Amino acid sequence: MNSNRIKYISSIIGLAVIAILPFVLPDYPLHLCALSGIWIILVLSLCLLQGYIGELSMGHAAFFGIGAYSSVFMTMTGGFSFWAALPLSGIISMIFGYLIGLVSLRLRGPYFAMCTLGFAEVIRMVLVNWKKVTGGPDGIIAIPSPNEITLPFIGQISFINKIPNYFLIYIFVFITIFVVYRIVHSLMGYAIVAVREDQDYAECVGINTMKWKRFIYSISAFFAGLAGSLFAHYLHFISPYSFGVAESFDLVIMIIIGGTGTIIGPIIGAVLLTLLPEFLHAIKDYRMLIYGAILIVVIIYAPGGIAGLLKNLTDRYLPKLTTKMGS
Amino acid sequence: MILQQLVNTLVLGSNYALIAIGLTIVFGILGIVNLAHGEIFMIGAFVAFFVVNGLQANFFVALLAAMGSMALFGIIIERGLFRKLRGGAEVNYFILSIGLLIVMENAALLLWGTDPHSMGLRTSAHVIDLGSVVITTQRLIIVAITVAIIIALHFFIKYTKMGMSMRGVEQDFEGATTVGISINKVASFTFALSGALAGAAGALMGSLYIVQATMGFSPLIKAFTVVVLGGLGNIMGAIVGGLILAAAEIFGGVYISSGYQEAFSFIILIIVLSIKPSGLFGKKQ
Repeated sequence: MNSNRIKYISSIIGLAVIAILPFVLPDYPLHLCALSGIWIILVLSLCLLQGYIGELSMGHAAFFGIGAYSSVFMTMTGGFSFWAALPLSGIISMIFGYLIGLVSLRLRGPYFAMCTLGFAEVIRMVLVNWKKVTGGPDGIIAIPSPNEITLPFIGQISFINKIPNYFLIYIFVFITIFVVYRIVHSLMGYAIVAVREDQDYAECVGINTMKWKRFIYSISAFFAGLAGSLFAHYLHFISPYSFGVAESFDLVIMIIIGGTGTIIGPIIGAVLLTLLPEFLHAIKDYRMLIYGAILIVVIIYAPGGIAGLLKNLTDRYLPKLTTKMGS
Repeated sequence: MILQQLVNTLVLGSNYALIAIGLTIVFGILGIVNLAHGEIFMIGAFVAFFVVNGLQANFFVALLAAMGSMALFGIIIERGLFRKLRGGAEVNYFILSIGLLIVMENAALLLWGTDPHSMGLRTSAHVIDLGSVVITTQRLIIVAITVAIIIALHFFIKYTKMGMSMRGVEQDFEGATTVGISINKVASFTFALSGALAGAAGALMGSLYIVQATMGFSPLIKAFTVVVLGGLGNIMGAIVGGLILAAAEIFGGVYISSGYQEAFSFIILIIVLSIKPSGLFGKKQ
């Protein structure tokens, strides 16, 4: 039993669970699962940046917000169908990502992080102050659900209920996972990892680091924008308070606790941080306090996060297990 | 009107300089951007608030209490947390300080709620009227204390043995170790100094405005902007940067838009980073 086969088996189990969940779960837990899906898309888009370029963005929630607001503007004011607004809001977010990247990606380390935070805060202040378009601090209510569509073999789907929305979100979760996986496990991925490990050296061997960084930053913003569009039309309500520093920090916490530089780690982190407060009602007030404390403990004692711990466990016990099974 | 704004700029700018110097010495000497710096500022303000309102003590006692307790706090977080990461990737320091920021802000929110508190010093303040400019003695004292602290710090770093060790570590980490400077001592001391400066800034600002659990994040951003403006580890630069930022906020707030007042520091930060990332007075790296 090698690690590849474990990966296949666990992804098939994962798929099956996701497919069965909506038919066994009551309404509210299903809602949480759908929200987890949106966070998974977001966290994976950031993980591409953080895990594979090695730069920490503290303003990623801004792209989430840009996607949400532009999608709402296009459907509610511009009369676009949701199915046109969804990709377009991703592209608008991507354009912002490219432009912000022109400035911020020239910086490294804390300067990059603070620069992204600066852009995100300016964007949030525009959302708060540009009342005509954004509705100001009160936000926008009564955002329509995705339009009905007719698919071959399945027939007409209406998105009034939770279940079709859930599947819509998870389809995009899989698209995101697939794209991130393809980027990382390609020749391009090796170039990206080289940029992370040593930018100066990568430049010396002929990798155009700026080009790759801009590309990754734009892709990352694209998926965050998609997540924003899905979020807005799923919740039917948005306000600038969903796209602030706290949300950007949440994303960083999810990645670090889950495990930087892996795909499964941030997914675990996103699901954990969305579901945990619901299971532990008693600690709800202490939620952020506990997350902060966990972040400190993880970065000092287990910088690999949960994914790193799991890998250590399988590395230690799997060989023993397989030799036993073999004999 | 303009003269009055200039006086306000001096008060606000000197405070920004004080916070920024605490941030810049830890960044310059140890390579750590401590995002929890603003939260130390906030807790310093609360210490001063409790000393003034709980113990009914003099404000100067409160100021010293805030500085002393935050210096101790600085030593604790250096020994207990930051030292454990030494030698690892720099980004880990950054993430650690995010964790610390979240823990401190939320602990303060749970302990003291979201309500603003006032030290009640404003009403007793004496007003000096110079015709077109009005300044309270309280503000004058605040500027005087800030200037005194900065001058004391300058002489400390220039002439004492510990100050020289700190500069040694800043210039060459390994070289400093080779000539027998204890990195642990310097690191602890730098954090203590940084904490004391943040505590002092918190106490001073808290006496002028309000004391609140959420008051720490905005000074952090401003301090970082000032550090970028003035160049890393540059105390003179931090003073000039503090005044520039305060002027931009006050005059921008009056003449452009008060809704975006908070955005000015971000916009300045972005502009400086995109044009001259080493700061106005920084050396080229």
